Amino acid sequence: MQGRLRKDNNAGAVGSAALSVASLFFIAIMIIAFTANPVAIGTDVGERAPDVEGKAYNGTSWVEFDFESYFDLSWEAGNKSGQWVAIEFMDTDCPYCQQTAGEYGQWANTFSANNPDWNGPHVNFMASATELDIPGHDTSRAEIQDFRSEYGHNFPYIDDIDQDNMKEWGIPGTPAYFLIQPDGIIAWVSGDNNEDLAQAIVRLTPQE
Amino acid sequence: MLDNLLVAAYLIPTLFGLLLVVPFGKSIGDSLSSRFEILGSERGRITAGLQIIAFFGFAVSAQTFWISSKISEGGNFCSSSTVFNCDDLIGNSDLNVDPVFDLSWGIIGMIVNAFLLFMILVIKNEPNGEYTERFIKFGTLITGAGILVVLLLVSYEIQEGKICLYCTTAHIANIAALIGFLRLKMLFDDKSAWKSK
Repeated sequence: MQGRLRKDNNAGAVGSAALSVASLFFIAIMIIAFTANPVAIGTDVGERAPDVEGKAYNGTSWVEFDFESYFDLSWEAGNKSGQWVAIEFMDTDCPYCQQTAGEYGQWANTFSANNPDWNGPHVNFMASATELDIPGHDTSRAEIQDFRSEYGHNFPYIDDIDQDNMKEWGIPGTPAYFLIQPDGIIAWVSGDNNEDLAQAIVRLTPQE
Repeated sequence: MLDNLLVAAYLIPTLFGLLLVVPFGKSIGDSLSSRFEILGSERGRITAGLQIIAFFGFAVSAQTFWISSKISEGGNFCSSSTVFNCDDLIGNSDLNVDPVFDLSWGIIGMIVNAFLLFMILVIKNEPNGEYTERFIKFGTLITGAGILVVLLLVSYEIQEGKICLYCTTAHIANIAALIGFLRLKMLFDDKSAWKSK
């Protein structure tokens, strides 16, 4: 065994330096591991929702949309005062989005603080309107405004015609729905189960 | 306030390390050499300076990695309405990772500075050993490549209109380490100066 090892006259210096640095590295990693509990950003349940950027139509004009302003990072599970977020990724020319638009608008009214029959937290509804790469799916801000008023929606529509948000969220097709906790953590994703958004809200939000 | 003090705790030693590696740091080295013998020679002064720079470069990188982890939990660490706002940069999931492997810049800084520290310790302990020349070249190469990373990260700061002081301290550490390794290389090329105690 001894004959197969190359003699290294500097092994002492190298070994001691390597040990010192490795110890330092692992101490630092241990401190970080014990004092922080990072949450990944992504679109799976339990991950922090990625940002949604762009201009949003609020019924009167297109204004800069601030997705983060909807969240309270100090919210704790079970706290009834926090406001939840429901977001739909849709295309105004997608037939299934058109079919479900009425229902989505009704849910926005049902799960609202203005509804005396709903004893759960307020859910902020919103829609991110994109333009799918399918012939005949050309859209515009005017078309988004018309779609919103046609279905009597009173929540913001975000302009995602360039598909930036859709790509960031990894949306394979429309419509796609997400329910997000008041602290910005995704609580429910459509397509993963048999329940719809309304059933998910009733199941997951704290109620009196 | 506490935030600024913490940045100073990393920045001041890094700048002191930089002072030791530059030629006009000789007077500081001489004045401290009665207590720290290693600072009496040019080689000892540069390796000591590099050791300080790499250590604090490692520490500030670990701090940025910790900050990005805390922000992802939902906390905030150094958010501010002024241009000095590291949360908007370290907490930005698009900018706080490298574009190739999606590794946090903080962990990359920790690995690089740990490796630099290892090489510096070997050079310091065995200045005439067989690894010295190789490690000086590696160190120069790594910190030289680090300048490209610094430029990329500064471009992010310009794009966002924010300055992250922790990141800036790590950038200064990289530049200071490059200066140190270049000075070490020049000294090593002059064999008589290198061997003189």
